Amino acid sequence: MKIIDAHTHLPGWSFGSQPRPIRELRREFEEQGLGGAWLFTTDGLVGESVKNNDILAKAVADHRDFFAPFCTVDPLCGAKAALRELDRAKHKLGMRGVKLHPWLQRFSMTNPAMEPIFKHAGKLGLPVLLHDGTPPYASSLQIAALAEKAPQTIIILGHAGLDDQYEDAILACRRHANIYLCLCSNSCGYVEEIIRRCPVQRLLFGSDGGFLPNLIALAIAKLRATDAPATVLRRIFHDNPLSLVPLPEHKLGRQRRQLFHR
Amino acid sequence: MIIDSAVRLRTAGNWAQIKAWLAAWQRLGIGHAIVAPADAQATIANEEGNTQLARLMRRYPKQISGLAVANPWRGTEAVALLEKAFDNGLSGLYLCPPRQGFRLTESIVDPLLKVCHRRRKPVYSHTGTPICSEPLQLAELARRFPEITFIMGHGGYPDFWYDVAPALRQAPNLMLETSCQMAAVIQQALDAVGPDRILFGSGFPRSKPDFEIRKIQTMGLPAKTLTKIMAMNAMRCWGICL
Repeated sequence: MKIIDAHTHLPGWSFGSQPRPIRELRREFEEQGLGGAWLFTTDGLVGESVKNNDILAKAVADHRDFFAPFCTVDPLCGAKAALRELDRAKHKLGMRGVKLHPWLQRFSMTNPAMEPIFKHAGKLGLPVLLHDGTPPYASSLQIAALAEKAPQTIIILGHAGLDDQYEDAILACRRHANIYLCLCSNSCGYVEEIIRRCPVQRLLFGSDGGFLPNLIALAIAKLRATDAPATVLRRIFHDNPLSLVPLPEHKLGRQRRQLFHR
Repeated sequence: MIIDSAVRLRTAGNWAQIKAWLAAWQRLGIGHAIVAPADAQATIANEEGNTQLARLMRRYPKQISGLAVANPWRGTEAVALLEKAFDNGLSGLYLCPPRQGFRLTESIVDPLLKVCHRRRKPVYSHTGTPICSEPLQLAELARRFPEITFIMGHGGYPDFWYDVAPALRQAPNLMLETSCQMAAVIQQALDAVGPDRILFGSGFPRSKPDFEIRKIQTMGLPAKTLTKIMAMNAMRCWGICL
């Protein structure tokens, strides 16, 4: 089974980091155990989202078999500009999803651009993954409240509420069929509880890889240290992310595809 | 041998369960654990929690040290509870501001700290939950009580990772407990203040001992540093003689 990481970042100039060749990043990800990754900008979350979408698309151009790039948009520029960028990101850059970080991008979920962004992403078939678990702008239930208004859009809580709001994330996931949880950065005991209480087909593995060293291998070890059975881990590590964002090399069998449409 | 400075006990009365945990910890090389009451016992049923832990310590003196709980909102009653818990052999004070309903910077906690100062007992505090238990709030407390050793539980995880090293630099009597926090942040703390102020913790049951041990082992630390983090610093901090 190849592990697909639904939460990684392209290192940039932000947070004391510096850009690295994509070939090197892929090798590092593979060495830590990945068979594919959803890749988000880092620099684009602190400014110049359009420019950084271009940088990300260019970086992964020769690695589409491994990386699924996610664009970002800036809600502070208004709905019109954000929707235009979503269209461009999907049709011209081939982006596979949307990453938003309300805390770093300094917008609240009540920003008037957010509802149109959620709805338009759904129309384009792009899942939207948001940083969550951090009040006051990125609490799990704030995101869930808006997700309720865009039921056709897949909304992923990018940290399943972190350790302070995992209970809220569980409630959001159980209430709304369009909410998925990315098990990224929750402590091991809380991961177990999320797995026990949430629909397994809406759980994804994530590590924040690329943001700090060695995160991926430890995140994999953490998920494996839970009491989840192998069949559940397979869905979280592999089947679920591929059902949302297929990668060319990883094909789900017909039987498995049917399972997801139940 | 490993000393685990961060265990919360949810079923103090369940001897079979405790025996199973101790056996499991031993298999992982954890020879001694610093245990604090959890949930209702940490919040309201403090005396029950302290009494059960004291009993546990008497039964497993080589394997368990206990931390006392006393909700600061109980005022003089909390002070009496704490004195009694220390008389019964508990090794320090466990604070959990988000559960106990106070901010680390509120003076309501001062009477308890005065007891800890007089009795020379360390104070372990949960950190990482805004607005009440941030690393810099604990550093502020540590600066007000420079003769008490404070332990930054879970290293401000999840969102206050960037405050860990600055908080440690502010107060030399502040130590970092490693559970839940990312390896890279523990490395930043090491770079900032050296290996003598970092304690291994599993965070059980919030996290898992096998994973937390592996996390530290994969950091590639020199053997001497590893020994300090995994055991020696804890022995010094908690006054453990094995």
